[in-house]
Amino acid sequence: MEIKKTAIAGTLESSDVQIMLSKGTVGVEFDLVSDVAKQFADDIKLTIKETLGLYGIENAVVKVVDKGALDMVIKARTLTAIQRALDAVDQPNWEVL
Amino acid sequence: MMSNEITTIDLKDKSVRRDWQNFLMACGIKNFDDSELNPLDITIAVYENEEIIGTGSIAGDVIKYVAVQETTMSGHSTLFNQLMTKLENFMAVEGRFHQFVFTKPIYQKSFEYIGFKTLAECKQGILLEKGLPDIKEYLSTIPRPKTPIDKVASVVINANPFTNGHRFLIEEASRDNELVYVFVLNQEASLFHTDERIALVKAGVQDLSNVIVVNGGAYIISYLTFPAYFLKHNDSAIDYQTSIDVRLFKYKIASVLGITSRYVGSEPLSHTTNLYNQKLISELNPQIEVHVIQRKLAAGDLGVISARTVREAIDKGDETVWQKMVPETTQHFISNNLLELQQRIRKGQKINGN
Repeated sequence: MEIKKTAIAGTLESSDVQIMLSKGTVGVEFDLVSDVAKQFADDIKLTIKETLGLYGIENAVVKVVDKGALDMVIKARTLTAIQRALDAVDQPNWEVL
Repeated sequence: MMSNEITTIDLKDKSVRRDWQNFLMACGIKNFDDSELNPLDITIAVYENEEIIGTGSIAGDVIKYVAVQETTMSGHSTLFNQLMTKLENFMAVEGRFHQFVFTKPIYQKSFEYIGFKTLAECKQGILLEKGLPDIKEYLSTIPRPKTPIDKVASVVINANPFTNGHRFLIEEASRDNELVYVFVLNQEASLFHTDERIALVKAGVQDLSNVIVVNGGAYIISYLTFPAYFLKHNDSAIDYQTSIDVRLFKYKIASVLGITSRYVGSEPLSHTTNLYNQKLISELNPQIEVHVIQRKLAAGDLGVISARTVREAIDKGDETVWQKMVPETTQHFISNNLLELQQRIRKGQKINGN
């Protein structure tokens, strides 16, 4: 699937993550800011990439500002950003959820 | 953790405005000129015991007047991040995902922690951006040579409109370099509209094969980087803005495009542009060579070729003046659109600035 428009989800508050998705052309490109980037950058990216994969999204620019979010929070915020980016907020993908 | 409620506040309400301004002044923010306040789209604030403890505003794509009381119950950075989330979400709802912020150097880290990236800094302040489309995306739209080359020149013009003087400047750069980038200001603030100015520059340099005409975007002499170019400011503001504009050019644009020189016309007429030229010389040399080219004289006794003189002639309908100052391509455009251009002036478009 292709991203239709830029979308954002999440907050900049502690234990949360802000995720911005927009159109990409060369795979999934990350721009990640996190206090725990050293330890967890790869895990955070993997979670987001897998979630994008559930929707068949192969190309995207992903900007992430992580404030120490747990895995399930990262997944939830990514799902919301995807629904918005696909212009499909009213049609949640139940199989994925 | 205690969560504060963030509310939208109305600065037209005099007592709200007074409290807001007092709070910001206590935080060290002093500029409340109408030119700063009028563009504000929205202002939010957080109250504690009926006193403001944090605030922030949006003006177009710029986030302004962000301040948080140092000693809040829930912590300084928490409240700051809440306010910024709210401001970014306001913009996202309108489909805008790109924001700039000017701030003092001491707050650089606070903004970088939430995803902002520094575009330029000087001792008075820094300019940061977040979101998309960002400068990386802007630069990716500019054509690059396939193999690296040594001498890449740059010219920055408003071309309002494109004159023989601009042509001469670009010819000089074209002759002595392998490639020339001509950046045309994107700001829509001139008698000639941006698409018209770009088209006239392209038409005027069509025969020069090593010249690439590029839209300057938000990053080269815009309301964002250098508002004094378009609106009157005092010299200390000009000093600050020109530092930001020139450093952004040097470190974020020229370095990426491999630019080795910049050509400017000598500036006998405009005080602001003259200060800008001085700043270019002091900041860019020696890494980027600045060539100041003597302004060309028009035929007859009209003095130096100047786009401002051309605009004044358009206002008066004095064809003999612009015929001596602009190339045929620009002449055609002026002749074909004279009434429209004059109408823009009658409707209030200023022609005596840049």
